[in-house]
Amino acid sequence: GKNEYDLLVIGGGSGGLACAKEAAQFGRKVAVLDYVEPSPPGTTWGLGGTCVNVGCIPKKLMHQAALLGSALKDAQHYGWNISQPVHHTWSVMAQSVQNYVKSLNWGHRVQLQEKKVKYFNIKGSFSDPHTVRGLTKAGKETVVTADNIVIATGGRPKYPMHVAGALEYGITSDDLFWLKESPGKTLTPFVFNVSLECAGFLTGIGLDTTVMMRSVPLRGFDQASHISKENQICFTTQQQMASLVTEHMESYGTKFLKRCFPTKVEKLKDNRLQVTWKNADLGTEETDSFNTVLWAVGRAPDIKTLNLETVGVKTNSETGKIIVDASEATSVPHIYAVGDITEGRPELTPTAIAAGKLLAQRLFGRSSELMDYDNVPTTVFTPLEYGCVGLSEEAAVQRHGSDNIEVYHAYYKPLEFTVAERDATQCYMKMVCLREREQRILGLHFIGPNAGEVIQGFALGIKCGATYPQMMKTVGIHPTCAEEVTKLHITKRSGLDATVTGC
Amino acid sequence: MAQRLALQRLLSLPTRGPLAAHGRALGTSAGRRSTFNVQDGSDFQDRVLNSPKPVVVDFHAQWCGPCKILGPRLEKLVAKLEGKVLMAKVDIDDNTDLAIEYEVSAVPTVLAMKNGDVVDKFVGIKDEDQLEAFLKKLIGA
Repeated sequence: GKNEYDLLVIGGGSGGLACAKEAAQFGRKVAVLDYVEPSPPGTTWGLGGTCVNVGCIPKKLMHQAALLGSALKDAQHYGWNISQPVHHTWSVMAQSVQNYVKSLNWGHRVQLQEKKVKYFNIKGSFSDPHTVRGLTKAGKETVVTADNIVIATGGRPKYPMHVAGALEYGITSDDLFWLKESPGKTLTPFVFNVSLECAGFLTGIGLDTTVMMRSVPLRGFDQASHISKENQICFTTQQQMASLVTEHMESYGTKFLKRCFPTKVEKLKDNRLQVTWKNADLGTEETDSFNTVLWAVGRAPDIKTLNLETVGVKTNSETGKIIVDASEATSVPHIYAVGDITEGRPELTPTAIAAGKLLAQRLFGRSSELMDYDNVPTTVFTPLEYGCVGLSEEAAVQRHGSDNIEVYHAYYKPLEFTVAERDATQCYMKMVCLREREQRILGLHFIGPNAGEVIQGFALGIKCGATYPQMMKTVGIHPTCAEEVTKLHITKRSGLDATVTGC
Repeated sequence: MAQRLALQRLLSLPTRGPLAAHGRALGTSAGRRSTFNVQDGSDFQDRVLNSPKPVVVDFHAQWCGPCKILGPRLEKLVAKLEGKVLMAKVDIDDNTDLAIEYEVSAVPTVLAMKNGDVVDKFVGIKDEDQLEAFLKKLIGA
């Protein structure tokens, strides 16, 4: 018989909602399924996906809380009478952040209603290529059929199953943002963007925080990263940038246990957690107690209960992510996938949203425009932020050869740091360009305050094929950090000192 | 009329959960009989749509700051009217279908209802004078 819906979207996150709402604009009958399986400690949340509930939004707000703490410390130098030390209350911050997230859950619900998208709070699984069934909270079985189905179920944090006690006693980012009480003294293995960002703001609000890393910072991310070599996102294999970011964190109080990996977690009588780890350098076994162990060992695609095998949707055998082509199509006709669930794509909200919208436009709007995954700008919101767009230095060398690229770089000091007597040692930027012909800019990397704001505008330039001469002709805005990009002139090749000179 | 039909549909959904431990009413002793928390769709049908007295319906949320100001302010004024009008509080997260049905997008949203029909409405915070006028219009009209 005829299918009930033109489009069924499984997953109400960034990609799923964008796709559903866009399809509804074309007057199509659209339904969205969203369901949040509680985390092992029992945390759950509403409509909106990872970004809204346990990702970008709460992360950035807590990052802001930490930055405000630093600002309060700086304020004295600028004349403010603030009694030091300043204290932070987790529960006040958490309540405000959680309230805002809940208002977003509601906002998404209203939007679906306004755009006439049918919403089901059920966990769906395929019974055939056009049929998905699931149970409502009340236990009623619902069957939904659709001409086209988009899988956008995203991912969830992994647990290191080989570490005894990891699952029973540790938490992940799924839980951190929803804690009502302070996490206290925290250990976070290993080093991915998530753990650095979390360790960063936890330190910033005054908590005793330790990051444990097996090897070089962000190396683990790169090896586990499921971004194909061709689409190398700027911040993977960025050893130099990762070192600067972690150096800064270390100077601001985050502890780093290098070349260590945990072997077991046990609970003590007073409810603290005893963690045992091996130190690969010294060959010793060490131990310490913490209030919280925050695992950040990567994310796994949420496909377990989808029943993909039944319908033949192919996944990558190593990562488990759904394999899609340039039009987000899976191996099964009329079944598509967008967002974190897809193999070889960035795990970012804006790309999921754009891909979802373009997919809907191709399906129902007679468009043929494909998603462009090149030159996607992004930022890691560590205490000193790292923003970038385009190729990493390593990727550029790999693609063009070191003789054919020129890397301009500079250390700089934000004006605001001067009076505040803040250390700017890690404030740094580099621009990777082609050496020949017009000297097209391949990548831009910036470590400093408001890195995301700085990089956003330059992303447009790179998209338009901006060149080094054009950058040099661009007048800077003074006094800003961003203007230093327009003044980059010292090359790595020259070996000249790239540290700060005067104004 | 449309709302009544919509509510008939709502009743077919599995709704009746266990009663809240703290009961249905809240507020000071003066407000106790005139203000109550709506539990579910059929509770709304019984005590709001089928109410012989006019009802002010306060759609609110735990995460909404302004709601925490408007709620008590409205309750106080309703209590002063000594039963001439009742106040029903609806938590939009607990009663999402109901809130969606009544096209609540922002909170607080307050509806004035008489004989099952929406006769007045406002969104956001109002001061005491504005609320008094709102209530007066509901009773008087």
